Amino acid sequence: MQALKMLLRTWRGGQLGLIVWSLVLAVSVVTSVSLLAERIERALTAESSAFLAADLVVRSNKPTPQAWITEAGLQGVETSQMVSFASMVYHQSDMHLASIKAVQSNYPLRGLIKRSTTPFTFDESLIEAVNYGPAPGETWVDARLLPLLNIELGDNIELGDTILKVTQIIVEEPDGGSYSFFGARVLMNWGDVAAAGIVQPGSRVTYKYLMASGADQNAFTGYSDWLKDQLSIHDRLITPDEAQASIASTMDRGRRFLLLAGSIGVVLAGIALALASHHFAAGQTQQVALLKSWGIPASRVRSLYLQQSLWLGVGGSLVGLSVGYGFSELLISIVREWLPIALPNAGIRPWITGMATGLLCLGGFTLPSLWHLPAQPPLAVLRQDIQVAPVSSAIRGAFGIAAVAGLLLWYSNSVYLSLAILAGFALTALATVIIGLAMLRLGKNYGQRLGSIWRLALNNLWRRRSQSLIQMVGFSGAIALLMIMVVVRTSLIDEWRFQLAEDAPNHFLVNVAPYELDGVRDLVNAQNLETAGWYAMVRGRMTAINGQPITEAQKDSHESFRRELNLSWTAELPEGNKITEGQWWGEVDSATTIAPVSLEDEIAEELGLKLGDRITFSVGGLIFESEVVNTRTLNWDNMTPNFYFLFPEGLLEEYPRTSMTSLYIPPKQKLLVNDLLRKYPTVQVIELDKIIDRIRTIVSQVTRGLEIMTLLILSCGVLVMFAAVSLSMSERLQESAILRTLGSSRRLILGIQLVEFSTLGIMAGLLAAIGAEAAVVMLQYFMFDLPFALHPWIWVTGPIAGGVLVGALGVGYSRKAVVQPPLEVLKSL
Amino acid sequence: MIEVSNISKQVSTTEGTLNILHEINLSLASGESLAIVGPSGSGKSTLLGILAGLDLPTAGSVSLNGEDITAMDEEGRATVRAGHVGFVFQSFHLLPGLTALENVALPLELQGDKDALKTAAYYLKRVGLEHRTTHYPRQLSGGEQQRVAVARAFACRPTILFADEPTGNLDTGTGEKINDLLFDLNKEEGTTLVLVTHEHNLAARCGQRLVLAAGRQVDQTAPKKKAVVKKTVAKRAAVKKASVKKTVIPKAKVKAKTKAKPKTVAKAKAKPKATPKPKAAPKPTAAPKSKAQGSKR
Repeated sequence: MQALKMLLRTWRGGQLGLIVWSLVLAVSVVTSVSLLAERIERALTAESSAFLAADLVVRSNKPTPQAWITEAGLQGVETSQMVSFASMVYHQSDMHLASIKAVQSNYPLRGLIKRSTTPFTFDESLIEAVNYGPAPGETWVDARLLPLLNIELGDNIELGDTILKVTQIIVEEPDGGSYSFFGARVLMNWGDVAAAGIVQPGSRVTYKYLMASGADQNAFTGYSDWLKDQLSIHDRLITPDEAQASIASTMDRGRRFLLLAGSIGVVLAGIALALASHHFAAGQTQQVALLKSWGIPASRVRSLYLQQSLWLGVGGSLVGLSVGYGFSELLISIVREWLPIALPNAGIRPWITGMATGLLCLGGFTLPSLWHLPAQPPLAVLRQDIQVAPVSSAIRGAFGIAAVAGLLLWYSNSVYLSLAILAGFALTALATVIIGLAMLRLGKNYGQRLGSIWRLALNNLWRRRSQSLIQMVGFSGAIALLMIMVVVRTSLIDEWRFQLAEDAPNHFLVNVAPYELDGVRDLVNAQNLETAGWYAMVRGRMTAINGQPITEAQKDSHESFRRELNLSWTAELPEGNKITEGQWWGEVDSATTIAPVSLEDEIAEELGLKLGDRITFSVGGLIFESEVVNTRTLNWDNMTPNFYFLFPEGLLEEYPRTSMTSLYIPPKQKLLVNDLLRKYPTVQVIELDKIIDRIRTIVSQVTRGLEIMTLLILSCGVLVMFAAVSLSMSERLQESAILRTLGSSRRLILGIQLVEFSTLGIMAGLLAAIGAEAAVVMLQYFMFDLPFALHPWIWVTGPIAGGVLVGALGVGYSRKAVVQPPLEVLKSL
Repeated sequence: MIEVSNISKQVSTTEGTLNILHEINLSLASGESLAIVGPSGSGKSTLLGILAGLDLPTAGSVSLNGEDITAMDEEGRATVRAGHVGFVFQSFHLLPGLTALENVALPLELQGDKDALKTAAYYLKRVGLEHRTTHYPRQLSGGEQQRVAVARAFACRPTILFADEPTGNLDTGTGEKINDLLFDLNKEEGTTLVLVTHEHNLAARCGQRLVLAAGRQVDQTAPKKKAVVKKTVAKRAAVKKASVKKTVIPKAKVKAKTKAKPKTVAKAKAKPKATPKPKAAPKPTAAPKSKAQGSKR
């Protein structure tokens, strides 16, 4: 308790302020970021489950085995079955090739179906969200089926041998937005499928087996592990992560940025803590000498300081945890208005992370600074010149770096991120020591020719060069880290805005026949809509691989072996695509007999195709041979047409082709889709507007979160600068007070401080630009997958911001020297 | 109480070995006072540091209370310091973040004294600062700060008090008052006093004087009167009793003290002979108000 008493008295005496604030800030930054990141992640998982309408799905072309369902029942796992297929629906003389989905009554297991009794409505008050599907004998349909079949709600439609009554309009399905079905949706009850008599053995249908965990999450995990062993080649397991790749990538980048911001916060607060601790320890040496002169043994002194550090760590961390919690709540309350999803509560991990940050920061930065104190000789009470030397700065630095590296790794789980930040900081520190020293010397020599203020100030900087360098490392480190964050944030947000511009394409028009192309174009143009350009494609089927005909087993294993594929051609690698294996083609001779083909890398893997494999295609009965020459990744974010199979120009143009495009259709002109479908029933329309709206909402909310986070980190930066400024303050105030006593003017004293600090700030800003540019290059390349770009503005703003900020802080701090009588200043030191 | 035999102190510098102290001998009985005088750089503070067990001589030995502290390790010397030694410094060495009361209480608290604050308040009252207990050092004048330091030194009931130029940072008037206080308390508590000073007045009030010049002992005035240990101890106990009557002091403290001392109370009323009691000295238990207000800033 004595240690706690001493700590509280020291706190009251004001010597602990900087250490405590650094600690609280480090912990609160990390806690709020972790809380946010975890809650967003949990929300995302829940959201993805909703997109899947379940926690886990098995897609298959065979009905679900009864054994799976029985086992699920034993494990308390909730299940539901669903079958989807394309079939004609009729009403009197009208017909439409609809996307039929038959669901059991407990569908969806996750998420909700939005329905309405008013077609084409966007009015939320007319839309109802329910967690069940249509009753037997009823059907819920896409609004556009009504004009397509000339029906109204309450009319009957025929499907196979059964008659279904249209009772609701589907506004949104949780697992809608699928690419595989192109017709209007007809949702019916599972029980009516048999009566319709349209699903026969061998029919082209897709079964889905939906699973959701009950109360026991472990039982669910156990069941899914068991299930994985039961899967055959017909079955494909779909997890929530795969369900919504585009939202996941946006959120993932957002989360990475939060991590980056948090990590930078930790490093900044760590530097502040290191500087503050150094300063604090210097103020404790006399006290320790006194304690030892009273006969307190070194071991007791060490124990007292260790206990105080522990109290400080626990207390500071607890305050930090609550501040961090408050901050994350504040962030959430600010973005709540734009929040499309409720954020679930976080688990224990963010709290552990926060607490660990506090204790580790203290262990890495404060303890090494205090370590030498017990060795202070008691004789120091009589002789000021006898002082124990602190632990060497190299060792202290090593502890600090180890603590930061450990924290960064644990926290970000990313070696690249940790390395980039450490490298950026190390480079800045190294540059500071080498270049900074040269600059200080240059300043001192050049300063001789300038006015008295400049001469004195630049001389002072050189005289105190080791302190100046430590301060410069602090300043430049803080500025560099802040610049890294602003640069990454800006480029991320720009990229998102570009991707999800207001008029980003939200509809795809596919399967437009050559003779329909002009008509469809006219219809689109009449509405003053712009397309992303028309892409030609031919539809072909794979018939053989390496001379071997496609087997039934292969057909069962993957959809692409049994259906027609969209084949297109291009001379240039499409924007956003990246070659993963092989080479992109140059000029290809149109007389060549084996066509080079480029495959999307995931489909290549799923189909078991590799470079050099020969694929035989059949296009409208005509056979041609091709060879896989490269694989590539696609960019799904930019909402432009993407192709799994691409050929060079001049090889496929002869075959019967269709066209496709993507375009933005504003909500008010949505009925164009119906006009189009009524006039050109074979054209397929893929609607992505709802998904895009959702992504846009999430992006805007993540962006807002990032803005606020940036502010929090900026405050960390200011704290570091404050700590660095206060480092030399007592010496400066003493000198200023002496100058003041000797009759120096206020102008001279403040002028010297202004020149000293702004010079330090400008130099630090310049050095920071070096470190920041290096780290940003690494981050852009490895972590955010953003294009490389230099940032000339940081070379300008770095020195200016550094000079202004540090100068202002320094002068603000030094004002005491000119407003208070010199004797009072000297007495207070 | 203090036996010093043939101590020397040498330090190595770039220009060779420097003799700071050369074969110093002295002997001081319990309750006596010694002034170490000499010009700046004569080795006074070095000698004080060695006597107090803060530093070690290059040769020779120092015994405090019969224990040879030069043969001990730092832990051993720390134990001796904790049990017997108190300090008053030229630059006060008060902790800036602590109030006057807390500054006095700190060493007691570190010794595990449960009544530290009560004892501290008692000693602050004895130095006439009972109205300044919650003030921080920066709010006190130099003289007041040194009185707090004196209270702190006596609060631990040391058997030997070392004072390093206790009035060196104070003006003559304030310095005189501190000296009075130091000698009064010394007399009342029966402490052995060793002080380093430049001031002849102060040195003259001590029973012994050791004059140093360039590290050599050039003069040592023999004690005017042989101090008798038994007498001194008896005197201390008597003063203690007297103060119990006058002021409320922590029970535990009184018990501890009285238990430790022989119960020769009867002779205790005898007037102290070792040093004349200065008339001007403020009564420690009831400092005049005018003085207190005068020092308030």
